[in-house]
Amino acid sequence: MQLLSPMRVSFPTTVAEASDELRTHGDDARVYAGGAELVLLMRIGAVHVARLVDVKRLRGMRDVTWSDGRLEIGAAVTHRRLETDREVWRRLPMFADAESRIGNIRIRNQGTLGGNLAFNDPHSDPTPPLLVHDATVVLESTAGIRELALDNFVGETYDTALRQDEILTRILVRALPEEWGQAYRRVERFQRPTLNVAVAARARNGLIAEVRIAAGCLGPRATRLRELEASLAGVPVAEIDRIVDGAKPVLKGSLNPRSDLLGSADYKLHVAGVLLKRGLRAALGLGGAA
Amino acid sequence: MTDTRRVESIQLLAITTTVNGHAWSGEVPVEEVLLDFARSRLGLKGSKRSCESEVCGACTMLVDGAPVSSCSFLAFEVNGREVTTVEGLADGDELSPLQQAFVTEVAAQCGYCTSGQLMAATALLNENPSPTYQEMQHWMSGNICRCGCYPAIARAIKSTVTRGEN
Repeated sequence: MQLLSPMRVSFPTTVAEASDELRTHGDDARVYAGGAELVLLMRIGAVHVARLVDVKRLRGMRDVTWSDGRLEIGAAVTHRRLETDREVWRRLPMFADAESRIGNIRIRNQGTLGGNLAFNDPHSDPTPPLLVHDATVVLESTAGIRELALDNFVGETYDTALRQDEILTRILVRALPEEWGQAYRRVERFQRPTLNVAVAARARNGLIAEVRIAAGCLGPRATRLRELEASLAGVPVAEIDRIVDGAKPVLKGSLNPRSDLLGSADYKLHVAGVLLKRGLRAALGLGGAA
Repeated sequence: MTDTRRVESIQLLAITTTVNGHAWSGEVPVEEVLLDFARSRLGLKGSKRSCESEVCGACTMLVDGAPVSSCSFLAFEVNGREVTTVEGLADGDELSPLQQAFVTEVAAQCGYCTSGQLMAATALLNENPSPTYQEMQHWMSGNICRCGCYPAIARAIKSTVTRGEN
C-alpha cells in the first residue's frame, strides 16, 4: 500500500488561469483531468506533483460536437463517452473501435482522450487511428492558441510538443469519405496493446486507390507509414501480401522497433506485418483472417 | 512535534456525497483516494485493495452508476455524486438477485475479487439488462479472478439475466 503525498488542487475556469497556474508552479504542477495515468505515476513515485491543475471546468473540455464532417472532442471527454456514441461509431468506426478497447471499463470511465494523448505512452490505442484521420490538436495558453497536426504533437515515449504552460483543449477528427473502409487491429497483453495498426483504404477496379496506415507500440512512438502507403497506392489488391512482406526493411526504419519484455524487435516486426495484412484485407472488404 | 512544512501543504476539500443511499458531508485531503475514503473513513471494507494499478478490479465501486477503480480515483471527485459499494447491494439481510446468484453458482473460491466482480456485473446489468456472452466478456474482462472462477461468475450473471432481474 502506497499513500499519495500531500498535494493541492486548483479548479481554474479559464485557460488563462490554468496556464498561469502551470507557469507559476513549474514542474511542481501537473494538468489533471481523469487521473487514470497520473494517479498511478504519482503512487509509484515516478512523478512528484505538489499541485494538480484540474482542467475539467474549462469551457468545452467535456463537449463532443460535429461540424462540417469534423468531430471536435473536448480533451477531458472520457473514452467511455466516445465508445458509447452512436454517431462516433457510424462516422469514425476505427477510432470508436480503438476507444472501446482501451484498458478496461473502469479506465474508460475515468480516463480522457486528452489525457491519453498528452501522456503519450507509446502503447496508446487511439493514437494510430487518429494519425490515419490526420487529426489535429488544439493547445492553449496565455500566449495564445495553436493547432498542431497530431503527428507533430506526438514525440517519443511520453514526450509531446506541449509547452510547460499549455493545455491540450480539443482534438479535431475529420471523418473519411464513406467509400473508405477502415480497420483497427491489435494484439494485447495486460489490458494494453502490445502492437496495433490502423488502416483506412479505398479500392477501385481491383486497385488500391487510396490508403493510409499507422502503427504503434513497436518503438518509441506511433507512426504513419507513408512509404508503405506510397508503395501500396495503385497496386492490385491481390498484391497486398507480397508488398507488405517485402516492406520489412521499410517498416523497421519507420517504426524503430525495440526489444523489451513484450517481445523482441524481430517478433514485433513480424506481428506488425501480420496485422497490417489483416488490417488491409479488412479495410478493403476482402475475405480471410480478420 | 508537528512537521509544519507538511501541515502547510495539506489542502482539505469540503464535499457532499451520497454513499449507498446515505448522505455524507465532510472534508477530505486532495490526495485521499476513494478506496481509503470508504474503508478508513466510512468503515466500508467490502472493497478490496489489490493491484493498485487499475488492472485487477478488486476495488471496483460505482460512481453515478459507472464502475471506477477506487484505488486510483481521488475521493474529492465524488462531490455531488452517488457512490455505491458492495455494502449497498443487499436490502438489509436480503441479497440482491446477482449476489444470490453468486452464492447459488459458487462464483468464488478465495473471494477476494468477489466484491469487485459484483460491482462490475451490477453496473453491466443496469446498463444492459440482457447482455450477450460477448458483451459480458468485454465488460468483465477487467475484473481478474486468480482462482479462475470465470465460468461460475459468467453463469451467475447469465442466470440473473434469464430470470429477468438483476
